[in-house]
Amino acid sequence: MSSETTAGPAESTGPVERLHIAGLHAATDAVLSVRDLNVRFNTENGVVHAVRGVDFDLLPGKTLGIVGESGSGKSVTSLAIMGLLPATAEISGSVRLKGRELLGLSDKAMCEYRGNELAMVFQDPLSSLTPVYTVGTQITEALTIHNPTMSRQAKEARAVELLAMVGIPSPKDRLRAFPHEFSGGMRQRVMIAIAIANNPRVLIADEPTTALDVTIQAQVLEVLHRAQEETGAAVVMITHDLGVVAGMADEIMVMYAGKPVETGEVDEIYYNPRMPYTMGLLGAVPRVDVAEKTSLVPIEGMPPNLLHQPTGCSFAPRCPLVSDACLAGEPALAPVAGGVQHRAACIKAESLGGADVDVQDVFAAPPVPVSRFDSIPRTERSTVLQLKDVRKHFPLTRGALFKRRIGTVKAVDGLSFDIREGECFSIVGESGSGKTTTLLEIMEFHKDQDGEVVIGGISNKQAVDAKTKSAMRRELQMVFQDPTGALDPRFTVYEVLAEPLQNVGMDRPAIRKRIMELMKLVGLQPDHVNRFPNQFSGGQRQRIGIARALAVNPKLVVLDEPVSALDVSVQAGVINLLDKLRAELGLSYLLVAHDLSVVRHISNRVAVMYLGKIVEIGEVDRVFDNPRHPYTRALLSAIPVPDPQLERTRERIILQGDLPSPLDAPKGCNFATRCPVFAALPPAKQEKCLTLEPPLEPVAPSAATQALEAAPVPSPDQRFACFFPDGELDEDMLVVHEPADHHAP
Amino acid sequence: MTNLNAVDPAAAAQDAHLENADVVIGKNTIIFRRFMRNKTAVAGLAIFLALTLFSFVGGYFTQWDKETIDPFNIGMPPSAEHYLGTSQAGIDLYAMTVEGTRISILIGLIVGLVSVLIAAVYGCTMAYFGGKVDKVMLFVLEALIMMPALLVVAVATSGGGEGLKRDLPSWLLLIIVLLVFSWMGTARLIRSLSMSLMQRDFVKAAQYMGVPPRRIVWRHLVPNIGSLLVLDITRGVTGAILAEVAFSFIGIGIKVPDVSLGVLIGGATSQVQTFPWMFWVPLTVMFLLTGSLAMMNDGLRDAFDPSSSSSGKARKTKARRISAETATMKKKAS
Repeated sequence: MSSETTAGPAESTGPVERLHIAGLHAATDAVLSVRDLNVRFNTENGVVHAVRGVDFDLLPGKTLGIVGESGSGKSVTSLAIMGLLPATAEISGSVRLKGRELLGLSDKAMCEYRGNELAMVFQDPLSSLTPVYTVGTQITEALTIHNPTMSRQAKEARAVELLAMVGIPSPKDRLRAFPHEFSGGMRQRVMIAIAIANNPRVLIADEPTTALDVTIQAQVLEVLHRAQEETGAAVVMITHDLGVVAGMADEIMVMYAGKPVETGEVDEIYYNPRMPYTMGLLGAVPRVDVAEKTSLVPIEGMPPNLLHQPTGCSFAPRCPLVSDACLAGEPALAPVAGGVQHRAACIKAESLGGADVDVQDVFAAPPVPVSRFDSIPRTERSTVLQLKDVRKHFPLTRGALFKRRIGTVKAVDGLSFDIREGECFSIVGESGSGKTTTLLEIMEFHKDQDGEVVIGGISNKQAVDAKTKSAMRRELQMVFQDPTGALDPRFTVYEVLAEPLQNVGMDRPAIRKRIMELMKLVGLQPDHVNRFPNQFSGGQRQRIGIARALAVNPKLVVLDEPVSALDVSVQAGVINLLDKLRAELGLSYLLVAHDLSVVRHISNRVAVMYLGKIVEIGEVDRVFDNPRHPYTRALLSAIPVPDPQLERTRERIILQGDLPSPLDAPKGCNFATRCPVFAALPPAKQEKCLTLEPPLEPVAPSAATQALEAAPVPSPDQRFACFFPDGELDEDMLVVHEPADHHAP
Repeated sequence: MTNLNAVDPAAAAQDAHLENADVVIGKNTIIFRRFMRNKTAVAGLAIFLALTLFSFVGGYFTQWDKETIDPFNIGMPPSAEHYLGTSQAGIDLYAMTVEGTRISILIGLIVGLVSVLIAAVYGCTMAYFGGKVDKVMLFVLEALIMMPALLVVAVATSGGGEGLKRDLPSWLLLIIVLLVFSWMGTARLIRSLSMSLMQRDFVKAAQYMGVPPRRIVWRHLVPNIGSLLVLDITRGVTGAILAEVAFSFIGIGIKVPDVSLGVLIGGATSQVQTFPWMFWVPLTVMFLLTGSLAMMNDGLRDAFDPSSSSSGKARKTKARRISAETATMKKKAS
C-alpha cells in the first residue's frame, strides 16, 4: 500500500481519533463503524448539508436497514462510505472498515477497498452493467482487479460459481451473454454476483429492488439473503420501503433531513416506535394483509430545505405533536428507556411509548369516507364501464427490407369485466402482463378495436363521429403515473386545468371559478395557479393531475399507477384524497397498480392479470384473503409486510424465472411454466394444464355451506382460471426463514 | 406563439381584484422579465434595434446617396461633409453603409424567420404524420442537404437566368436562394424533437381529453420547441447575414448597383492600406450586427426555458411583485 493510506488516519487525528484511542469508538469488533459523518455540497443556492452526523456500528453478518424518504441523505451516506462522492463534496467524521480509516483516502487508495472488502449493489440494474461487454467479462473484471495472480481458468470457474450462487440457470452458457439478453431481475442478480465476487466484508445495497416487480423483488431479496449467508458479509440495506427491510434487517436506522432520528433493533422500531416520524411512516404504508378499512396516516408538508441549519427539531414543521420546546434546539439521539440500543431523537420519546398511543390519533388521520353508493348492492348500481372480450394483438415482424410476420404478441387477450358506479376496480400483475395496454385500449375508444368497450352507455362500435367521442371523453378521464411527464412544463397550473374546460366550450369566468373549486378540492392553495409544474413537489403535481382529470366532472377516472412515483408519506396523502373524492363525488376508478397493498387499501374489486388474461377476479377481500389461483397466491406471498415477526415466519412462494416472452407463451395455461402447483403435479395432470386453457370459473361454495343452507347459496364474487387450485405447492419454490436461523450470531 | 394561452393581463388584474387578489400573471410577462434580467441580452437587443433604426432613418442625416458621385471628394477620409469619408469613386461611405446595413438586416431577418417557419411546419408535419409521408419528406430534405449550395448561388446570381435577373433585384434573388438551402438542418432537429414530444404523457393526456390534433400541435408541440425556434431564428439571422457577406465577398452574392455590407467589405480588401475607413467601417457594423444577435441568444434561451436557473430568481422576484401589485391594488380599492 502507498503512503497515502497511512497518511489518511494520521491526518484525521481529531476528536474522533481520540475517542477511538480512549476505547469509546467501536468498542466491539464492528466491521464497519461510522462516526459523526457529515456531508456538505456546495450548490448555486448555497451549501446543502446533506448528511448531518450519522453514527452506526455494523457487526459481521448483521444487516442494517437505513430507511427514509428521498432527500433524507441515505444514498449520500452510502456513497460517502464507498468514497464515491464527487470531490466537491465536503465530508467530515470517520468511517472505519475493520479499524482502518477510509475517509480522506485518495481515490486510488479507495480502489483497494472498493469491490474487495466493500461492495455495492445499485438501484437501477438496467444501467449499471456495461452493454458492450458480456456478463462473464464484467464478473471476471471484478476478480482480475483484486486478484491479479488468479489464472483465467480459476476466474472463469469462480464466475460460474457466482452465477450459480445467485440463481442464474445454466451459468456456464450465460457467461457469454450480453446484459441486454437478461431481464431486469437477472441483471440485478449479476450485479449481486459482481458485488460478492471477492467475498466482501460489507455489502451496501442501495434500493436494490425498487426498480423490480414484486415477484422478482422476492427472488432478489432471497438471493441477497443467500449471498449474505455464504459470504458472512455485513449488509447495509438502503430503502424507502419499510416492508422490504422488515424481514431482513437486524437493526434499523430511520433518517430524516440528513440525520438519523431513530435507531434500534428491528422489533423495537416496528412495534414500539418513539419518534413521530417513524410512527407516521409506519402508519402511512397500507397493509396487504389487513382487511380492516382505516385511513392512512398522511404526513403533511415537505422535508425541510437543508440549505439552512434547522434551529429546532427538523421534523417539527410536519409533526402533529409539536410544542414550543421542540423548536428550541435540535434534539439529540437519546437512549429510550426500556429498549435495548433503542435511541430516538425526540424530546417526547418517553411519553410516546406503550400500547395506548395510536398513530391514527397522533396524526389525525381523516375519517374513512363513506360513499352514498356503499349501501346500495353492487348489482343495483348502473354500469359505467364494460369491456367485452377485448383483444389487442401486435404482429411481431422481422427483416429490414421485407417484413416477415414471425409471431403475435397477445398483449391483451379476451378481457371482459365491468365497473359499477362508485366502485374502485383494480388490475394487478407484473410488468408485461398487459395492464397498461388494457388502459390504452379503453382510452383509445375506436370502432376498429377487437372487442367492445362501453363507457357510460356509449359503445365504441357507435363511436363514428367526433360528437360521440367527445361525449365519451366527458365520462372518462385519466391520471398518469409520472406526474412530472403528464404536465406540460410550459403551462402554468391555470392553463393545465383550463385546457379540458376550454375544450368543452366553457366561457372564461366559468373556467376561473371552476379552477378555484378544483384547487380547493384536491387540497392545493388556489393562489398557486400561476406557478409552473416544476415549482411543485411530486405529490402536489399528482394532485394537479387529479384536478385536471376531475375538471369536466367525469364518472370514471382511470388511474395508471397514480402513487408509484411518490414517497411513502406523500403517497398516503394522495391515496386518502382519492378515497375522499370517490366518496364525495361518487366517482368510479379503474386503477392499475403493481403495489398490492395500495390496491387492497383502495379498491372494492380486483382482477389479477397474467400474460394478457385475467387469471382471478373478484371482491378484493375475497381474492386477497382466499386466493385460489397459484399466481395470485405467489404474488401475495411476495409482498413484503412491515411486520418483522410475521415477515420472518411467513411462508413465501418464490416463483422461478421471469414472465415468459409473449412469443413463446404456453399453449394451455399461460402460467404453467412458472406454476408452483404445476411443478408438483403428476405428469398425467400436467398434461391437462399444458394442452387445455383453463376457463374463468366462479368459486363454488363449499359443500359444507351448501349442506347447511337450505336455499341455494349465491356464489361469492370471485372467479379464477385454474384446474388444480388445491394442488400442493412445489417444495423448491417454498421458502420459510426459521426465526432461529435469522437470529443466529 | 405564446400569447395564445396567456391570460390577458388587464382582464386578469380585474378578475384578481374581484377574487381575493388571486393574481394570474401572463406567461409573456414572466418570459419578458426573465429576459430583461439578463443584462448582456438586453444590451444585445439595444444594439440590434439601434442598428436597425440607423439603417432606416440614417439616410436622412446626409444629403448624399449611394449613387451620387462627389467629384470634389474622391477617396477622402472622414470629414464634416462626408461623415465616414468617400470611396475611390467618390461615393459617400455613410450613405452606402446605411444602405448596406439595411440590405443585410433585411436579408438576415427574412431568411432567418422564413427558414425557421418552413422548418417548423415541415418538421412538425413529418413527425405528426409519420410513416410514408415522413419517408418521402425526409428524402427530399436529405437530397437538398446534398446539393452544393455555393454552386447554385453562383449559377443563380451570375450565369444564366437573364430574365430572372432583369425582373428581380439581386438581393431578392439571394434571399430566395439562401432560403432554399437554410432550413433543412433545423427541420430535421424539429422533427426528432416533436417525435419525442409526441410520446410524452402530457400529449397523451391532451389526446385523451379530446383536444383536436391541430390544437395539440399548436399548444403543446410548438411551445415546447418554442425556445429552439426562437434560438434558431436568431442563429439563422446571424447565419444569413454571414452567408450574404461571404457570398458578396467572393463576388457571387449582391451585385452592384445594389450595395450590402459584404459588397463593401469585399470591395475594400485590396485597399486596406490606402483607404482603411472603407474596410473598417462596414466590418465594424457587421460585427455589431452579428455580435448583438449572439448576445440576445443566450438571454432568450434562459427566458424560455422553464427549468433554467433564472426561474429560481424569477420566483422570488415574482412573489415580491405579486405582493407589491396586491398592495397597490388594495390601496386603490381603499
